[in-house]
Amino acid sequence: MSRRDTSRFRTATVLVALLIAAFIVLVLLGVVTHSPASVLIECLLSEEIQFAVRLSIITSVVSTLLCILVAVPVAYALARYTFPGKSLMNMVMDIPMALPPLVAGVGLLLFFGVSPIGKSLAAAGLTFVFTPLGIIMAQFFVNLPYMLRVTRSTFQGVNPRYEYVAKTLGCTDAQAFWRVTLPMSSNGLLAGSVITWSKGIGEFGAALMLAGATRMKTETLPLSLFLNMSTGKLEYAIAAATILIMISVVSLYAFERYGGATHVY
Amino acid sequence: MLVIDSVSKSLGEFSLSNVSLSVEDGEYFIVLGPTGAGKTILLETIAGIYSPDAGRILLNGRDITDVPARERNIGMVYQDYMLFPHLTVEANIGFGLRSRRADPAFIRGKVQESADLLNISHLLHRYPGTLSGGEQQRAAIARALVMEPEALLLDEPLSALDVKTRENLRAELARIHEATGTTIVHITHNFEEVFELADRVAIMHGGNVVQVGTPEEIFRRPNSDFVAGFVGVENLLRGTGSVDGTVAVGNLRIRAENGIPGPVSVAIRPEEILLSKAPLPENGRNVVFGRVDSVRPNGGLVRVFVDAGVLFKVTLTRQGFEEAGFAPGDAVHLAFRPSAAHVYPSGEEED
Repeated sequence: MSRRDTSRFRTATVLVALLIAAFIVLVLLGVVTHSPASVLIECLLSEEIQFAVRLSIITSVVSTLLCILVAVPVAYALARYTFPGKSLMNMVMDIPMALPPLVAGVGLLLFFGVSPIGKSLAAAGLTFVFTPLGIIMAQFFVNLPYMLRVTRSTFQGVNPRYEYVAKTLGCTDAQAFWRVTLPMSSNGLLAGSVITWSKGIGEFGAALMLAGATRMKTETLPLSLFLNMSTGKLEYAIAAATILIMISVVSLYAFERYGGATHVY
Repeated sequence: MLVIDSVSKSLGEFSLSNVSLSVEDGEYFIVLGPTGAGKTILLETIAGIYSPDAGRILLNGRDITDVPARERNIGMVYQDYMLFPHLTVEANIGFGLRSRRADPAFIRGKVQESADLLNISHLLHRYPGTLSGGEQQRAAIARALVMEPEALLLDEPLSALDVKTRENLRAELARIHEATGTTIVHITHNFEEVFELADRVAIMHGGNVVQVGTPEEIFRRPNSDFVAGFVGVENLLRGTGSVDGTVAVGNLRIRAENGIPGPVSVAIRPEEILLSKAPLPENGRNVVFGRVDSVRPNGGLVRVFVDAGVLFKVTLTRQGFEEAGFAPGDAVHLAFRPSAAHVYPSGEEED
């Protein structure tokens, strides 16, 4: 192949990349610049959007904490130990990631709405159907695989010999984990938490199914966007979308910064 | 004393089969073997990371086979240092004492003492990532020694270092062993470490210990083709031995230091053979006549291959070689003492 062909190929591929990048930026700019600034600010400060922001932040922070709490021990077991059924378990725990969120939502609705377990939880005061608690559950269920994958690969990246040395220096298994492996994994865990949180704040399908879309009750930012779009209040929808775009961009930056991208796939 | 009694352990591709060793108090014991011989598993089993499938481990009379690693008081140092990257050198060295919940002032004193011994006091506030390989390895050794372990295990401690640092740290290990009297088990595949450091050596191959002895014994009196090849005995002649200490190799009759009847191998180190163009007086030596087959320079040494019915490999200094001026085709005389010819049963037919 001649040098000229190579450079033509190069030009063609780079051009496609440029076009796609430009397309993405145009789409996002279109949203952000649709309303005049004054209208945008007014909507952002409205009671409804403020409620949605608060609810989104609370539910996504809580669901992210739950994901961390569950992912850390599970990921450690999957990264360090061999046990029967491990590979099957690995696969099962990735399913919610591949599943359409709406389907996950239907499953959650049936589980918490009509199954005996769900009914007894509701009787005990833990009602997930059509409540903010349902939003947290939906986010947790759908996003746990992301946290799990990042955490598992972070733990796998820590040479077990660090733990061996810690044990010869007097640590139990748990102490070796707390004093060595966990602090050595902090960047990965941080990256995982950021991506889990930003996916949580954008969670729509599963939350819609389980928690419903009730204005000023289960109205998170994506639900607000959906509700206001369907009732023709475009400028409110735009306000919600603008916040979501900013959150996505900032968390993507943080995720890359802490090296999370090397862990997900 | 550290006793490994018939220990077996299988871990997928690596394994130990029926390994027995005993290391004396204060001994510097080296385990030598190629990659994949099971050396690291051996150390990790001694340290208590793995429990053996069979056999026992005793440390100073105490059966520690089922004692968890944290209660064994055995120190471990890896090739790649394994310093905790999120802790300063000081916190790394003090890590074990903090596990024992020692008094902070006591920990500071001990850490300082240990750092002084390794000459790294000036690095205590640094993080491992900012240190050179040699400095990191000193910190890792200090971290193990500060616990005053009953045995210190070193897994290829010098292999990741550059030549100069390796020489320094090798001398340092000898000094530390001298100063502390700690029982050390050191694994390596490098001979220089054996001669400078080891009181005794074990050779491992395929999960087995194949020979144990002083470096001199292993070097000069290998007991198998594997050991002979591994320690660089280049002349391995197959023959038929007899009890009077002679071995028939082809048309040659070689007088050896020991007599074993039946199919045997004779191991002769290439530097133990004298080479001359002039006839050599026998004087109790084996004298053989042959022709120079080829000459291969090898750094400061020259390897000369001599065909005497069987092929002998002789190593000469460059100076000795140039003075004599050997060239392919020259008629030469070889001489070596019977004590330089070590015989072991080969278990195979003469070929």
